[in-house]
Amino acid sequence: MSDKGLHTKGLTVRYGGLVANDSVTIDVDPGTVVGLIGPNGAGKTTFVDAVTGFTASAGEILLDGTRIDALPPHERRTAGLSRTWQSGELFGNLSVAENLLVAARAGGWRTLVRDIFVPRRKVSDDVVSRALEVVGLADVADTLARDLTLGQQKLVGVARALAGGAEVLLLDEPAAGLDSMESRAFAARVRSIADSGPGILLIDHDMSLVLGVCDVVTVLEFGKQIFTGTPAEARTDPTVVAAYLGAPVEASHA
Amino acid sequence: MPETPEPLLETVDLAAGYNGVPAIRGLSMSVGPGEVVALLGPNGAGKTTSLLAMVGLVPLLGGEVRVLGAPLGRRRPHQVARSGVLLVPDDRGIFYGLTVREHLRLAARRADPERERQVLDRFPVLRNLDSRRAGLMSGGEQQMLAIAKALLAGPKVLIIDEMSLGLAPKIVQEMLPAIRDLAKEDGIGLVLVEQHIELALSIADRGVILNHGRVVLTGAAGDLLRDRHLVEAAYFGAEQFADTEGTLAG
Amino acid sequence: MGTFLQFVVLGLGLGSIYIGLGTGLLLVHRATGIINFAQGAMAMWGAYVFAQLRVDGTLVFPIGSIEFARRPPIEVAALIGILTAFVLGLVVHYLVFRPVRHAPVLAQVVVSVAVMITIQALVVLRFGPNNIDVASILPEGSISVLGTDLPTREIIMAAIMVVLAAAVWAYLRFTRAGVATRAASENERAAVLMGFSPDRLAAVAQVVAVVLGTISVMLGSSLTGLNPDNYTLLVVPALAVLLVARMESIAVVVVAALLLGAFQSVIGLLVTKSWWPVWAQSGLDQVIPFAVVMVILFVQGKRLPSRGSLQTIRLPDVSIPKLKPVPAVILLVLGVAALSFTQGTWRFGVTTSIIVMLLALSYVVLTGYLGQISLAQGAFAGAAGFALSKMTSAWGVPFPLSLILSALVATALGMLVALPAFRIRGAQLAIITIAAALAIERFVFNNYTLSPPEGNPIADATLFGLNLGVREGRDLARISFSVMVLVIAAILVWVFIRVASGDTGRTFLAVRANERAAASSGIDVRKTKLIGFAISAFIAGIAGCLIGFSRGQLSAESFTVFAGLQVLAVAYLGGITSVGGAIVAGVLGPLGIVYTLLRGVFDLGEYYALISGLGLIITAILNPVGIAGATREQVAWVRRRLSRSGPPPSTVPDAPAPKEPSRV
Repeated sequence: MSDKGLHTKGLTVRYGGLVANDSVTIDVDPGTVVGLIGPNGAGKTTFVDAVTGFTASAGEILLDGTRIDALPPHERRTAGLSRTWQSGELFGNLSVAENLLVAARAGGWRTLVRDIFVPRRKVSDDVVSRALEVVGLADVADTLARDLTLGQQKLVGVARALAGGAEVLLLDEPAAGLDSMESRAFAARVRSIADSGPGILLIDHDMSLVLGVCDVVTVLEFGKQIFTGTPAEARTDPTVVAAYLGAPVEASHA
Repeated sequence: MPETPEPLLETVDLAAGYNGVPAIRGLSMSVGPGEVVALLGPNGAGKTTSLLAMVGLVPLLGGEVRVLGAPLGRRRPHQVARSGVLLVPDDRGIFYGLTVREHLRLAARRADPERERQVLDRFPVLRNLDSRRAGLMSGGEQQMLAIAKALLAGPKVLIIDEMSLGLAPKIVQEMLPAIRDLAKEDGIGLVLVEQHIELALSIADRGVILNHGRVVLTGAAGDLLRDRHLVEAAYFGAEQFADTEGTLAG
Repeated sequence: MGTFLQFVVLGLGLGSIYIGLGTGLLLVHRATGIINFAQGAMAMWGAYVFAQLRVDGTLVFPIGSIEFARRPPIEVAALIGILTAFVLGLVVHYLVFRPVRHAPVLAQVVVSVAVMITIQALVVLRFGPNNIDVASILPEGSISVLGTDLPTREIIMAAIMVVLAAAVWAYLRFTRAGVATRAASENERAAVLMGFSPDRLAAVAQVVAVVLGTISVMLGSSLTGLNPDNYTLLVVPALAVLLVARMESIAVVVVAALLLGAFQSVIGLLVTKSWWPVWAQSGLDQVIPFAVVMVILFVQGKRLPSRGSLQTIRLPDVSIPKLKPVPAVILLVLGVAALSFTQGTWRFGVTTSIIVMLLALSYVVLTGYLGQISLAQGAFAGAAGFALSKMTSAWGVPFPLSLILSALVATALGMLVALPAFRIRGAQLAIITIAAALAIERFVFNNYTLSPPEGNPIADATLFGLNLGVREGRDLARISFSVMVLVIAAILVWVFIRVASGDTGRTFLAVRANERAAASSGIDVRKTKLIGFAISAFIAGIAGCLIGFSRGQLSAESFTVFAGLQVLAVAYLGGITSVGGAIVAGVLGPLGIVYTLLRGVFDLGEYYALISGLGLIITAILNPVGIAGATREQVAWVRRRLSRSGPPPSTVPDAPAPKEPSRV
């Protein structure tokens, strides 16, 4: 483990009396893919929300060795922590390219002045086209985001998360809605993104995707971290099998 | 496939979805008095959409839903509920700001202490929580409340979406058989959506497995339990399944 | 001490009205999720019917009336008033609020503002603009407490309203329908699944709310007389009370309402004392409740609860504008032509339309692009106008500088009003902004130390020796003034298009679409809102200055809250998401081209407010993209038809693929 990448120590989230994340400690080193799995309601998305600043949490969150747990969400993003959303959450009225531009170019008072006096051209932006190529969606750059299928929207979400430059990517069910072919292609993309530098935390229900692409897998159940290890260990670990897959019949086929 | 004589709820070649795009297609299934049907399938297969379509909360794009022999037609969702088809949605459909008492009050159109006693006998925990707000109860208690209030309304068909969501397996293992017994006693048709296949099939009479919005397998629950390979293939798609087959067999 | 107690008790009269309106607001919000800005106006109608029956025995309907030979007895009149309220509640529910029950918050706010404008206009038309006396249902008298004579009427009134509010509380607590209303307000789908029709529950709530408000206004107006403006705007303090009660607790509504009434009454006493600073004599009764609500919102820190409903319709579409030289030149030529070929009132009408277009543009920036609802644009304009008066007549600041500095005053005010937008949004932000607007109107514009009653003169503008004044001799609208307005408007539109099509516009649309996703893309949502309010207030401020120049002097009546709402109405009517919409709004706007036409040609000037209110209701229900948006859609449709031989349109499905509700 290095200082680089994302590290949480004892991350805890409480909703009223419910402990949604109970002291979760995860390390996402640069260039690695970490899988976060668990049954519905285990607290996976809560963990992503807490790390990215959308839910209050206790415990430490470090990005490249610096505490970021006091920062608001947009500052965590500019610090290099990038996420996608389960339901896409694109800006529907903007084209795909513009969605990415939002992430690539910050607004602000200076931007406002520049917009009025020396406007920048918007298309032909390297960052945008490169990010779109990574997810294989270069041909829909000018389509309105809301006209895409859900699967495409999620991929655009991944591209948007990449567009501003990211040290660590948190992908919340990016492959739900993809068919098995697309899901495989997506796995290859996730791998190549990680190989190009960033660390990736991947949440997904598609076990073959998660177990196939991840270097490390962490399993949550009822907010508790019940397992961390390699996919091979996860496949045979009885607690994982019981927690994630329930009873024996299910275990045998997932 | 055993066919029940008078189905309480029946879908015929049903297609339904949002914004004119079908999420489910060609769904034909039925549930009769005292019968338990498990609707299974992976995330995103269209299970919840199917249930919502049955009670009129998702527009039909084709086929029809028949309730007690009559087509759903243009009936509004609250009218469907009044005709005895009750859905317990996956958010449990309870009201955090209301007490248990208030929930029970809402459930029964006319106060019926006898019925209430019967139902509460099934879920005795609720007796002690009479004036507790639902928002302060545990997940298991909330789920019991959700089902108790549905039963109190005197359903002819009870549809439960992902009862096990967020519940410890032990609770689910206790609750499902209790609900099944009640359905059998009262002649209620029961439709269950479950992620816990084993448990669901162990109490169901029949199973219907959806994938990508279509029915990929139906059969008697016992047959499905025995013939795991069929279920597995239907559930995961044969190719994907091949990746991990055997490795997780416990 | 005795006088103090007397004033406290006198304030209970006002407090009783707040109970009536506030409880009704709470009930309607619970049942529909809608915050009904028309609550005061709706409550006023029945009271007017009652009062008019007692004045001369005429039963007034929106159209037509019945004259009774003798004035009906007071009980009968009151009953008719309440019956009217009952019918009004049903009509408004089924014709107006029910169709927008799943619409975006913006459409709901606009619809209720439209109902408010419509009823207020109708009251002015049917009952006249002046104060009318209202017979008292309750006996007058006084009781002596601790040696002080206290009026009994206010005490009885408060007691009646407390009892009625308690009845509403009991309804929500103990009846099956009431419990279902609470249930549906938390989870509408679950209530439907239990066999309840939220619609029916909402109709009941709406009727109860209007009847309750009407009773309170019937009782309360016997103390003050009825007046279309004041009673319509009583909804603002009642909304403040609603926020204090976190939209949940009727008990808190009752207590806060009585406290506020008593407090405002006592303030009225205190400002007459010699030690009270002269500059703070007016409007404090409005400023302090506003400040209290602001403080409460910030201290609570949490979002106020909002009703969970089945929102299905998206916001009106926005597209990123492009600067197209040809249409721009055509528009400019048209503008110059319209100004050159007209004169007098007509040219003044055209000029006013251009100014109103700018006000509408300020809504396009803030509401259309950034998705924030502000009802304070009129106050921003007014603040700049008054600053302009000070700068030109008191300090002698030269022309272009005076304009810009005054607009910057509005900008500063806009950024101040943006602060609550960090915490709240939607209808609650609308409440805060209308309360701010009312506070500014009463505390600043109506403040004689800041704004002398004889008016605030504004010196004519001159630039390089060129007289840009609006009047000279008998010419009421000089062409050089009008051209200056056109040029300034053109510059601002050009700036707007640059901003909207640039990086800033994109961040606005991102924030509008989804604040969470915007923040997760690195956008500072708060700063973006601040910028949006600043730009919007600047444009409104310039418009306010131009209004000032066009009048030569300003008074408090120049920038009332109603004038601001009127502009919101036409801005939405025209289309709140585009420059084209702003232009349509300008043409339709108060004192603009259409108004001049209605007045000059058809002699229907007095119906203007009513027509714009009704037009807005219909637009918001049927066509949330406004006139300009609808035109654009039709043009696009025609184009598609014409270009059928060309390449087929994209086959990408129109909507995202459905999925089962996501969960953690």
